[in-house]
Amino acid sequence: MSQDQEMVDAVPGAEVDGSEVGEPVREKQRIRVLVAQLPGSTDTAASFEFEKEDHTLGNALRYIIMKNPDVEFCGYSIPHPSEARMNLRIQTWDDVNVYDVLEKGLNDLMDLCDVVVDKFTISRDEFNATNPESEIRA
Amino acid sequence: MSRESFAAPNLGGSQQAPASGFQPTASGYENLDKPVGYLCGDCDTKVTLKRGDPIRCKECGYRVLYKERTNRMIQFEAR
Amino acid sequence: MAPSQEELERRRIVGVHAEHVDNVSSTDFPHHYLGEDHSWDVDHFRNKLQVKFHKNKPFESVFSLVGIDAAVANAFRRILLAELPTLAIEDVFVFNNTSIIQDEVLCHRLGLIPLTGSLEGLRWMRWYKKPPPADDPAAQAAARASGEEFDSAASVPSDNNTVVMDLNVKCEWAPDGQKLAKQGERDPEKLYVNSSVYARQFQFVPQGNQEKYFAEPGQIRPVNPDVLIAKLRPGQEISLRCHCVKGIGADHAKFSPVATASYRLLPSITIKEPILGQDAKKFARCFPKGVIELVDDEATGEKKAVVKDTMKDTVSRECLRHDEFKDKVALGRYRDHFIFSVESTGQFESDALFLESVKALKAKCQRFKRNLADLMR
Repeated sequence: MSQDQEMVDAVPGAEVDGSEVGEPVREKQRIRVLVAQLPGSTDTAASFEFEKEDHTLGNALRYIIMKNPDVEFCGYSIPHPSEARMNLRIQTWDDVNVYDVLEKGLNDLMDLCDVVVDKFTISRDEFNATNPESEIRA
Repeated sequence: MSRESFAAPNLGGSQQAPASGFQPTASGYENLDKPVGYLCGDCDTKVTLKRGDPIRCKECGYRVLYKERTNRMIQFEAR
Repeated sequence: MAPSQEELERRRIVGVHAEHVDNVSSTDFPHHYLGEDHSWDVDHFRNKLQVKFHKNKPFESVFSLVGIDAAVANAFRRILLAELPTLAIEDVFVFNNTSIIQDEVLCHRLGLIPLTGSLEGLRWMRWYKKPPPADDPAAQAAARASGEEFDSAASVPSDNNTVVMDLNVKCEWAPDGQKLAKQGERDPEKLYVNSSVYARQFQFVPQGNQEKYFAEPGQIRPVNPDVLIAKLRPGQEISLRCHCVKGIGADHAKFSPVATASYRLLPSITIKEPILGQDAKKFARCFPKGVIELVDDEATGEKKAVVKDTMKDTVSRECLRHDEFKDKVALGRYRDHFIFSVESTGQFESDALFLESVKALKAKCQRFKRNLADLMR
């Protein structure tokens, strides 16, 4: 059942076209700070719990956050394979706020996606123009 | 349910039989003289048998008869 | 203090040796190398990223992504497999099935048939959420506890979340079938009508607005009309109705939009000392055809082995088994050169699917950014 509900988020561009039936259903909060697991989360070291996420977002986010020079440590784990949740640990240098780091990570990942879409589209269109046979569509 | 009267089910099991009114001993529950249709295992013709009839196809004499499949709709998940 | 070209090349290559691999992790992170800045920079990424197409057909796209990390490339691959929605048969209402294939096996087979139709219509379609079974209080409690908003409209089959397809096939003797059988004919295609049930025999039954969205030629239909569903003999019959809904591959593989989506790293072959004459011929035979080329060597007048096309290599490591080659060659793979192969099942085109996967990753980020903003409030 849980996967069925997950699907709402998987509609590409569902937020963009705004053609959802009825009034927008209030989005469920799927991120929270893990407080109980460690003596305490501080502004420079915290673990975040992502519900219904896995290696797909976990590893990509870990990579992009590790690219941030303010980050001392970033890692993710899936505590148990039968529970659909992913934990992300961030520790920062000096007085940098982990929330800002996480937000920058999400922003950077979105920028990365935009670049990939742009470059991919250009390259594909060039290829299709020079290889007309691949234009034949079923 | 016949095929023609089928409507997309409203999912929720509203078709469950009511708890009352079910009396196994009432007349008509098990009519032993009711003819039952079978299919011949050899020539596939429909054979209607009553209690006491010889178990035998009336066309070809074959002695293996099969029950017909239920005529109720059955729902499955394609998984 | 910029690293030398050789150093950069060394960092790029994952070493493949006879019995082990080395240099397996990415090191392009800040603070890893003294005096080098590896922090994230979109413009640098844009300049470095290359996309090269090798093949672009509706059912198969092959392309290289160069200059991207495995973490991100793998995210795209995983999204392609498990998170892009497609339409597939979900509920089957069996009225009659007297074929020798059992109901549940038949229904499972039906679910796996790839369907296609108007893309506009498929995008218009919404999710159908199966409510927890009425006779299962535990499932109902779990659904309530999950805290998800329950949209009751999404749990009623309607024109914007369910596609109806009928399959009614009855096998009979062909008009002259009995006569042919007496003459010794054994071919079921000649003896009987409908001895095989094919996917093309599905009847799309448009509901409400589907008439408009899935008008010909965009009607919902199997991608391949020749999928064999069952075999029948005279008197046997299959009569059923299917409800097709949108779903994702994480829920069931039938919803996966790709037959497979995979990547491999571009192999690298470095010949450290010249390989000449008979050795060169033997060396070329250690690789698939077209990987190693033999050219005339001006210095010795012999044939010399040079690397021609590593794309065709399989990195079998065969050359490392021969003592005469093992010190003259270095095998590896480029850590940031991903050769993607996306094979669509036909509902969407392969290249469009990859773009969707990138957009889906972005949508995930957007969602969590909103969640994070709420968390901070």
